[in-house]
Amino acid sequence: MSGSNGNGRARRLTINEDAQAMIDVARREGIETVWDRLEAQQPQCGYCALGLSCRNCAMGPCRIDPFGEGPQKGVCGAGADVIVARNLGRTIAAGSSSHSDHGRDILETFGALARGDTTGYQIADEAKLRRLADEVGVPTEGQTAQEVAVGLADALLDDYGTKKGSLSFIGRAPEARRALWAELGITPRGIDRENVEMLHRTHMGVDNDYVNTLLHALRTGLADGWGGSMIATELSDVMFGTPAPVMSEVNLGVLRTDQVNIAMHGHNPLLSDVIVAAAQDPELIELARSLGATGINVVGLCCTGNEMLMRRGVPMAGNHLMQELVLITGALEAMVVDYQCIMPSIVDVAKCYHTKIISTSDKAKFTGATHVSFDPQHGAEIAQQIVRMAVEAYADRNHERVRIPGKPVRMMGGFSVEAILGALGGTPKPLVDAIASGAIRGAVAVVGCNNPKLPQDLEHIELTQRLIENDVLVLVTGCAAVANGKAGHMVPEAAAMAGPGLRSVCEALGIPPVLHMGSCVDNSRVIALAAALADYLGVDIDKLPLAGAAPEWYSEKAVAIGSYVVASGITTVLGVQPAIFGSPNVVGLLAGGLDDVVGAKFVVEPDPAEAALWIRRLIEGKRRDLGLPFTEVVADALAPAASATPVGSRTGA
Amino acid sequence: MRAVFINPERCIGCLQCEFACAVEHSASKSESEAFLEVPVPRKRVHVEAGPTPTFAFPNRCRHCDPAPCLQVCPSGAIIRDDALGLVLVEPKRCIGCAMCAVVCPFDVLTFHPLADSPAEGVAVAVKCDGCEDRVRRGESPACAEVCKVDALVFGEINELVAAGRLRESGAVLAAAGATATELPGGDPLVGWHSWGAAREAAATAADQWTTGRTAMNAHGNNGQAGNDSPTGNGNKGEGR
Repeated sequence: MSGSNGNGRARRLTINEDAQAMIDVARREGIETVWDRLEAQQPQCGYCALGLSCRNCAMGPCRIDPFGEGPQKGVCGAGADVIVARNLGRTIAAGSSSHSDHGRDILETFGALARGDTTGYQIADEAKLRRLADEVGVPTEGQTAQEVAVGLADALLDDYGTKKGSLSFIGRAPEARRALWAELGITPRGIDRENVEMLHRTHMGVDNDYVNTLLHALRTGLADGWGGSMIATELSDVMFGTPAPVMSEVNLGVLRTDQVNIAMHGHNPLLSDVIVAAAQDPELIELARSLGATGINVVGLCCTGNEMLMRRGVPMAGNHLMQELVLITGALEAMVVDYQCIMPSIVDVAKCYHTKIISTSDKAKFTGATHVSFDPQHGAEIAQQIVRMAVEAYADRNHERVRIPGKPVRMMGGFSVEAILGALGGTPKPLVDAIASGAIRGAVAVVGCNNPKLPQDLEHIELTQRLIENDVLVLVTGCAAVANGKAGHMVPEAAAMAGPGLRSVCEALGIPPVLHMGSCVDNSRVIALAAALADYLGVDIDKLPLAGAAPEWYSEKAVAIGSYVVASGITTVLGVQPAIFGSPNVVGLLAGGLDDVVGAKFVVEPDPAEAALWIRRLIEGKRRDLGLPFTEVVADALAPAASATPVGSRTGA
Repeated sequence: MRAVFINPERCIGCLQCEFACAVEHSASKSESEAFLEVPVPRKRVHVEAGPTPTFAFPNRCRHCDPAPCLQVCPSGAIIRDDALGLVLVEPKRCIGCAMCAVVCPFDVLTFHPLADSPAEGVAVAVKCDGCEDRVRRGESPACAEVCKVDALVFGEINELVAAGRLRESGAVLAAAGATATELPGGDPLVGWHSWGAAREAAATAADQWTTGRTAMNAHGNNGQAGNDSPTGNGNKGEGR
């Protein structure tokens, strides 16, 4: 139980020893962290947690009494169903907008690169550039790489508008899936259009039918997955290299006591890629040496970290809930941030140390941080300037306060779709054969964030362990990838932790049983891989023995991802309750009726053992329907007892 | 006797009562201005999370009789209004000794400077005054008025208790195997409440996970890189 000593408390908050050590330091030194603020917020408002509050207009704010005795309608007349659906729709629009705006930044820089207007960037994968151009119908015959890039940039820029009326990469989805979307009227027409239309629909007095709103919510998600996120992933590969298997290291132990440590935090590889290059500049390394350091050590956090790890093997300091704790090591000269998932509190924690917080995106400023406006047209020069600031900060480091807990753990990254197919010999056949024979039962994408409401990384790791033990291949992105890396699941030797079938496949290929597919925009790789498998088998995606899981999700982006994954035909298990339980009808649709419409649905299950059991039953059911060998999944006698009440299930859906 | 009756199982943790209480005890009585006043008005009802974070309890003065706080107050700053059944603090006579807080069974006393403190900036005992001005005007106390889910209800105390008894009798009968108690549609908060319980269970599981790993490392696994994780069949999850 939560003892009076700090250690007992920390062990209920995270399963990572590096995090526990830093939380204890924070407690001793009175440094406030995310867990303190969560505690201060208790109890959190139940209306909001149930999705029953609305402040979309000035006749409100309104709330619906879930007990049925108080108000059942907002001032406008919207009941629980409409209010919950509108709120969820706006959440998905925000998440979809975030990924898509990230994609646009990549695309604009790619366009500038194509026109020769940047420094520090080049076309790293010309073969992929030409493949993409062929795919979207941009002429490549006899064209230079630059000319092809100009054409591709223009074609993809059209995806953001409404003129084109469709998305360039939508053709990757199986034909049956595209026909289903067309029949339902949820084929995305333009990336920005669906987001804007969601804001319109959820204005008072527009879409007052929750089913209609939720269908558009799926379309908004699809515009992210097959649009904004996919563009971000694909063009990042062209500019920075398509990931291939690479070894790296993970946890706070990647920081160096004797070097200038720079943590790159946020999401967009535009910035981190040039910083990594600048950190290798001999002049800056010499400057670091003159100040007593032995070199410059760039490490990653969150999805920027994943981008760097996937392509360069740059070490990973940690995931979402490590962003304050990494500062408490006292060993960081600078945390360089762009956008998304960067807590405003890092500025306050950094004030306790010599660490500089350097913000770089003009759309994401942090009061109290040093802002260096990043402009890809001068990418190399700005990166030099930022690294120089970090190196100079080393002179101010208080070496007595440096506490770097533990030793790093090895992890392998770099499993792009191209790399996975490459490992298989250029065709999905070996993977499909392994699934067909039953050596591999199926594949599950374990993705998403950390959430301080659940112990950090416990759900990610336990769910993954139970899946690989049962011969289910696990694909990871984002914070889930970092969690599994720290747990030692992502080295080829971890095949020994897997069941016999998965183990033999992994050992034959020299790969881990848990494959790192990248950052959160790289969930587009997951659906692209699923589509490739479906096409190979000539079936729709929902027929495949696949599932998704977001065990510790927190962000709006995660809801957008969940919606495009489900709309693409992959059932997704959430470990954290979304704010929809105030409407039994919305829950009934998303956790039940949707299955009959898109062949997939949402499930809420915070217990990783139960979630694993649920997913295994789903996968074996899909195997049965495909005519593959299947087994009846029975509850593991060693597994913890199921919670008496199915969490979040009040409709029996 | 009219009083505020609490139905803690209905509390949804929205903190509306705390907000309304502070506004009621401001000079402006305005939601948009009260928080700008000096000294800032203070709430006298305290919503704290229960054993799991999805349960909450709006804790306020019970206006006991005999009231321990009144009995121990050395300066006679705590008095009783017999007509309204309220225990009241007179800030001008409070010496801030906190004896009232020491003996209060419900820990509802706090100490803050008020506009009518003995001197500017001096903290005095602050607690629920039953919204005596509102009640005299025939209105409900602010906290009960704003509560949308009837976790706080103002009325004749015996009638409210009887109403609660009526609701509970179904549960008692069900426990005896006599009849089903399910309300039509079930408890609307059951999913939310069980989510809170799941969070507590997860925290316990995390603690045990660390214990399991520590024990395993002590048995010779020295945390070699890439292989320092327990298997999935450890002793996690007991105690749920």
